[in-house]
Amino acid sequence: MDRNKQHRQVALMRQSLFDQGLLDEQFVQLEELQDDANPNFVEEVVTLFYRDSARLILNIDQALDKSPLDFAKLDSYMHQFKGSASSIGAKKVKSECTLFREYCKAGNGEGCKRTFQQLKKEYALLRKKLESYFQLARQVGPVETACRRI
Amino acid sequence: MELPSKINNNEKSIQQGFSPSRNGDFISTRKFTALVVDNDPICQIIEKAILESQGVETQFVGSGIDALDLLATGASFDIIVIAWVLPMMNGVETTRQIRAMGIRSKLLAVTACFDERKKQAFLDAGVDEFIEKPLNPKKVASIMREMKNG
Repeated sequence: MDRNKQHRQVALMRQSLFDQGLLDEQFVQLEELQDDANPNFVEEVVTLFYRDSARLILNIDQALDKSPLDFAKLDSYMHQFKGSASSIGAKKVKSECTLFREYCKAGNGEGCKRTFQQLKKEYALLRKKLESYFQLARQVGPVETACRRI
Repeated sequence: MELPSKINNNEKSIQQGFSPSRNGDFISTRKFTALVVDNDPICQIIEKAILESQGVETQFVGSGIDALDLLATGASFDIIVIAWVLPMMNGVETTRQIRAMGIRSKLLAVTACFDERKKQAFLDAGVDEFIEKPLNPKKVASIMREMKNG
């Protein structure tokens, strides 16, 4: 596949992440922090996010198995999770975090459990799509034009 | 920050880290410094990168206690970014104790989840601004512009 076609494929893949509502403007802000000294900054941060948040996911899973539910603890975990998810621009994951916290405030355990299942799906989907995107972007290499279209 | 008088001694002003702008006023060219107080590793890295992209030398610590210990050594920062959720001592209490030390740095509270009660608690404790995460480069740039122009 010629180089221009590959770059177009990367650009389309990237755009689809926004069109599907998986990412928001914060992701673009992170991309703008990349430079020659830190060319893979976004991928590194996303990788760290998935590594670090695995621990939180486990904590929340375990907390949801307890009875009675400790809504204050669940809320605190989710507060932290939302912070890092929003910092990488994970839009749908962030929305599920917000919904989860509303269920916590309402003391609705079933709502929390249901929302958490959805959150994990969105989290896994985003991870899969970002991994594919970063892998392709690395294979294709940087765009060599002066201005990169966003 | 007070601007020096532009009447006398331009050279002294330049030595103090001010340079003349086109209209004869002086704007600060000195390096700004920041401390990020957040125990989330993703937020630490991103907030540091965002501040550094605006030319701010930045360190981070993972707790309010570490922040107070660092400040007690005499380290000073123009900006201190404080998260709500911190281990052992939360962001509001950390803020209160920082102000009790007589520290007049610009304090920015950042939190994943906005609520009015939280905002008021932080403002009452002494923060200058309350920001919902994610911290973004445009917001930081606007704060820096304000600080640089006095």
